[in-house]
Amino acid sequence: MMNTATFQWLTLLAMTAVAVGLSQTALGSNAILLPVLLTTLIKGRIVIDRVMALQGVIAPWRWVVLGWLVVVLGLIGYTFHAA
Amino acid sequence: MWFFILAELLVFGVFFLAYAFARMRNVELFNASQLELDKISGAINTVLLISSSYFVVRAVERIRQGYSRACAHWLLAAMVLGGAFLVNKMAEFIAKMGDGITMSTNTFYMFYLGLGFFHFMHVVLGMVILGAVTLKAWKGGYSASNHVGVETGGAYWHMVDLVWIILFPLIYVLH
Repeated sequence: MMNTATFQWLTLLAMTAVAVGLSQTALGSNAILLPVLLTTLIKGRIVIDRVMALQGVIAPWRWVVLGWLVVVLGLIGYTFHAA
Repeated sequence: MWFFILAELLVFGVFFLAYAFARMRNVELFNASQLELDKISGAINTVLLISSSYFVVRAVERIRQGYSRACAHWLLAAMVLGGAFLVNKMAEFIAKMGDGITMSTNTFYMFYLGLGFFHFMHVVLGMVILGAVTLKAWKGGYSASNHVGVETGGAYWHMVDLVWIILFPLIYVLH
């Protein structure tokens, strides 16, 4: 049976491949914006909750780091969409 | 250590947003300059850092079971990938400098080189921390009941990975 950490690592690699694949397509900037940001959000959450093992840790550490991720990606999304 | 990590994340967050807002005013320039980047090199570096972080997770697993030498082996493997990241990134910087590109070339390259070098230095610091932890693990300095150092060093390394996970799509992918 596959180790949980190994599964998470392979998931992170697969999501990286998706983002790179999207960047190689002829799709416009707005078309790839949401999927790339979503894969980045999922990757970030895996790193924060599983790799850094913050899931289950007493607040506020997990929420501060997750909040940082959401705010940064949200504002990046806003600036790229508005540009 | 967590206060230090949060402070680092805050600084990187400010830089990311500075890049994003600067791009709003120079979309054509940023898109044209981004086309000159080596996306494959950026993708390889992402694979290297993600894999390196995974090796650190395995190192923590091993020390929790009391296997100090196995922990050191995983940490050493993580450092090898971290070193490969540095070599690849340095090659990328050298190639750009060879093309006559500096931080003064334009706003995009100011961010690309500035953010890249800032992150590069964090990888170097992470390697130093992992090196110290690896040495102590090799000498049997950690055990199943006492391995806070491995977890703390690992947390810093994962922070460096987390920052790159955002830096890569921001600079190389999104346009």
